[in-house]
Amino acid sequence: MTLVKKKFLLSFTPSIVNEPITYKMVKEFDLMVNILRAEVSERGGRLLIEVDGKPSQVSKGVGFLKSAGVEVKELNEYVNRDEDRCTHCGACLSICPADAFEIDGMSWKVSFKAAKCIACGLCIDTCPPRAMKLRIW
Amino acid sequence: MRTYEEINEKIKRGDVVVMTAEEVIKVVESQGLESATKEVDVVTTGTFGAMCSSGAFLNFGHSEPPIKMQKVWLNDVPAYTGLAAVDAYIGATELKENGDLDYGGAHVIEELIAGKPVHLRATAYGTDCYPRRSIDTYISLKTINQAYLFNPRNAYQNYAVATNSSDTTLFTYMGKLLPNYGNATYSSSGQLSPLLKDPCCRTIGIGSRIFIGGAKGFVAWEGTQYNTAVPTRNGVPTRAARTLAVIGDMKEMSTEFVRALYFHRYGVSLAVGIGVPIPILDSEVMKYASLSDKELFAPVLDYSLQSRSRNPLKEVSYAELRSGFIELYGKKVKTSSLSSYYKARIIAEKLKTMIEEGEFLLTRPVHGLPSERAFKPLDIRSKEEV
Ligand code: SF4
Ligand code: SF4
Repeated sequence: MTLVKKKFLLSFTPSIVNEPITYKMVKEFDLMVNILRAEVSERGGRLLIEVDGKPSQVSKGVGFLKSAGVEVKELNEYVNRDEDRCTHCGACLSICPADAFEIDGMSWKVSFKAAKCIACGLCIDTCPPRAMKLRIW
Repeated sequence: MRTYEEINEKIKRGDVVVMTAEEVIKVVESQGLESATKEVDVVTTGTFGAMCSSGAFLNFGHSEPPIKMQKVWLNDVPAYTGLAAVDAYIGATELKENGDLDYGGAHVIEELIAGKPVHLRATAYGTDCYPRRSIDTYISLKTINQAYLFNPRNAYQNYAVATNSSDTTLFTYMGKLLPNYGNATYSSSGQLSPLLKDPCCRTIGIGSRIFIGGAKGFVAWEGTQYNTAVPTRNGVPTRAARTLAVIGDMKEMSTEFVRALYFHRYGVSLAVGIGVPIPILDSEVMKYASLSDKELFAPVLDYSLQSRSRNPLKEVSYAELRSGFIELYGKKVKTSSLSSYYKARIIAEKLKTMIEEGEFLLTRPVHGLPSERAFKPLDIRSKEEV
């Protein structure tokens, strides 16, 4: 059985912020959950997680979260690149902890592999022409 | 062996042989220096990086009634107008007057080149000949008279590699430097870089026609901080050394080669694309023009030391830098370029095509650049000590 890896942005209303919902999800659905970003404010909480597991378990886990009142949004892209602004300098190469940027040694073009991104946000203020933009959060 | 006039004749006839500074490396390797010198007439170079010492002279034309502008803002970025009535200079690093660090003169310049409207505000004290006290209007490159970049210091011959030994992240004009030698940044196109390929400026001088920002421009003067008193390797400076003051018409430029930059918590800068053709006058010119990244070196400096005299930790070649890693104290440190090699190559190739197609003739410098020039520091002195 192949495992899938997906990213979700979870939004909690203030009333459920204190409940151990993600803990239950890990336990009951046998998922590996990696917390990429977390934020709590008076408006509630937001959690960016990466979930590893069997596809059926992942969708069951998501179903559980929704039934518990959590707003769940699957994220395909955390940051995106404005291709017109990117100058292919490479400033991002030594900053990204996930090696989501690759430089081609022939064309010297820098490509952005969104699938590798772990949503740390470091590239955003690293990119001098400001080509990297936050999509969410 | 070959003169500027002969090269221009060949350009006009359409049989000139031009190669980029990258292509010529292989030709010299395979055929030898003498044979390559005979074959190739011109080598083209290119660079595209942050050049803070840049800015534009603008002439807005006269309003009715006329105004002698005393203060000028373009998209709320102050421009210098201590010149004649409607002349101004907008510096690339000047910031918008609202406390934000991320919009400045470089953005105004980029927007003008993009053909966008720019908000012009000016105030004045009013004179008998210039009664108007203020103006609020929009301009674009089409509505104004002259608009030319005049950059006092561009195309640095070489530059430092920046790293950070401290335990906090530093935000510098060399980009984000991660703690404990977490990364190293550099900013030169190395084997494509104009002044590294003519290290003593034998062919580059005042009046040399160059590619700047997509336009044909000229070398106007020695650049500020021009410095010849530096160590060399293979006859090429291994420190920040010579620089160029350059000029070019913004109306012919393209945002492909002029780009506003923002360095987080440092400020605004302008990336300028510059390409310089090197006429292969003899084999000595060719020897330097064909040096490769393996033979060109830059000093690694620790930017956590806040001093003007930092001793290099070591020298590294551009080949090492471009490999993605350098070694520091036994540790592999990831490297990032701040200038775009991809764009530098496009510039060198574009310049090559322009010369091959007869659109770009070479000029013999009307005057050489200094062969000796020291770079002086600024110290706190009394009137008597000056
Ligand atoms: S730092 Fe920005 S401009 Fe440079 S290569 Fe990365 S995404 Fe492109
Ligand atoms: S957000 Fe972080 S992980 Fe994602 S691309 Fe940017 S630096 Fe890499």
